[in-house]
Amino acid sequence: MKKGIFAAILGSVFLFTAHAKADINAAQADAFVRKVANEGIEEIINANVSQSVKQQRFEKLFNEALDLDFIGQFVLGRYWKTATPEQRKAFIKVYRELNIKTWSARFDEFKGKSFVFNGSTPSTSKNQIFINSTVAMDQGEPAKVVWRVKQTGSNFKIVDIIIENVSLAITARNEYTAFIKNNGGNIDALIADLQKKVNAPVKPAGK
Amino acid sequence: MIKKAFLFSIFSLTLLFTTSCATSQSQTDQHEHEDTLESFNRAMFTFNYNVDKYVLKPVAKGYRAITTPDVRTRVYSAYLNIKEPMFAANQLLQGEFKQSGISLSRFVINSTLGLAGTFDVATAWGLEQKKDDFETTLAKWCVPDGPYIVLPFIGPSTPRAFAGLMVDSFASPVYWLTNDHDDGIYAYGAYIAAKSIIIREASLELGDDLERNSVDFYTTMKSAYLQNKTDMPNCFNDTQTNAAYDFDFGIEDEEQTFDEMEAE
Repeated sequence: MKKGIFAAILGSVFLFTAHAKADINAAQADAFVRKVANEGIEEIINANVSQSVKQQRFEKLFNEALDLDFIGQFVLGRYWKTATPEQRKAFIKVYRELNIKTWSARFDEFKGKSFVFNGSTPSTSKNQIFINSTVAMDQGEPAKVVWRVKQTGSNFKIVDIIIENVSLAITARNEYTAFIKNNGGNIDALIADLQKKVNAPVKPAGK
Repeated sequence: MIKKAFLFSIFSLTLLFTTSCATSQSQTDQHEHEDTLESFNRAMFTFNYNVDKYVLKPVAKGYRAITTPDVRTRVYSAYLNIKEPMFAANQLLQGEFKQSGISLSRFVINSTLGLAGTFDVATAWGLEQKKDDFETTLAKWCVPDGPYIVLPFIGPSTPRAFAGLMVDSFASPVYWLTNDHDDGIYAYGAYIAAKSIIIREASLELGDDLERNSVDFYTTMKSAYLQNKTDMPNCFNDTQTNAAYDFDFGIEDEEQTFDEMEAE
């Protein structure tokens, strides 16, 4: 009997510590993503301001909400280790600029749309969680959008966005490492190519 | 036509088993997809890219130009309705008898009251659509996916996906209606063409966007295709999980790394 109680106490202590180790506040992470999505739609996409103001606001939101240093490091894969500090910095910078440019060009597509949030799913990674949502499409079923959130202290950041099972981080990693591999391991070639895309004039999509 | 398609399916399944046995596990990156047929695939990808650029994309744009969003929604709905018997047949093969009955009812209701499927009356009655194709059936039957292969005109595929596509074409009402006629093949071809245009129109922006921002479009498409199908059920586990994208970032002391970086 005593043994049983002891085991139960030990078990619960273990359970609590194990739980605390992988802890992320699901409710707060959910609220964080909702706030980011809502701000993006209300104050940027649907706002009655010029495109340049929209872009400025988006850049601010993007930098605040996404941990691009973290994502960028993953995206370079094994080449992150061999990259010089200058290359790392240059890559993160151009990757950030390209992402901001890409998403800014697509504001109109998200006009009048809204996300429906359907709770969260735990992650095997420490301090991370998936926030599930869907967004209505013009045709067919709504698209599944999952936000991967990382908590550091009381600070939340998005570290991946998964659209219909396609992780943007994994896709970028596959693409960039393939490019570097096909260019004889030259990271500068990738940075130069991305810079070219950042500098190219903005063309509305579908035209 | 049945014979031909059947032979195709057998061929692709054979390809599946022979090549999947031949593949070695020599992955250097756990997130990288194996690509044993890469040089063939890249060549085929270029071919398809040009077919799309010079034929399919311009036609899809034309379709968009002459139709309103509402018309396109009706057309898309009708297209999905045509697939309903195929969903029903596969649900039957997967042992989902109730859902199979729902799909069949949906087809009957929407084809009549829904004016040839242009309106989805059945959903309003609580008969929800569930898409199931023969590839899903094969997946449930424990048939492995096989290597990534880019097929002419069809695009990104795997032997299992291709076999699924072939078998599914028999469960289409368009096939039943055209099969016995001498000129049936042309009518069926027209249906395939129309279907391609409808699907392509819906992804015009996405496709352009992916291409413009990609440094290696082939890899982007391959990666997206293979990730997208990770939610397919398999024979061991019917429930979908986030395992496919719950990867380990493999970054331990990211703060430290960046502090060092900033310091330099």
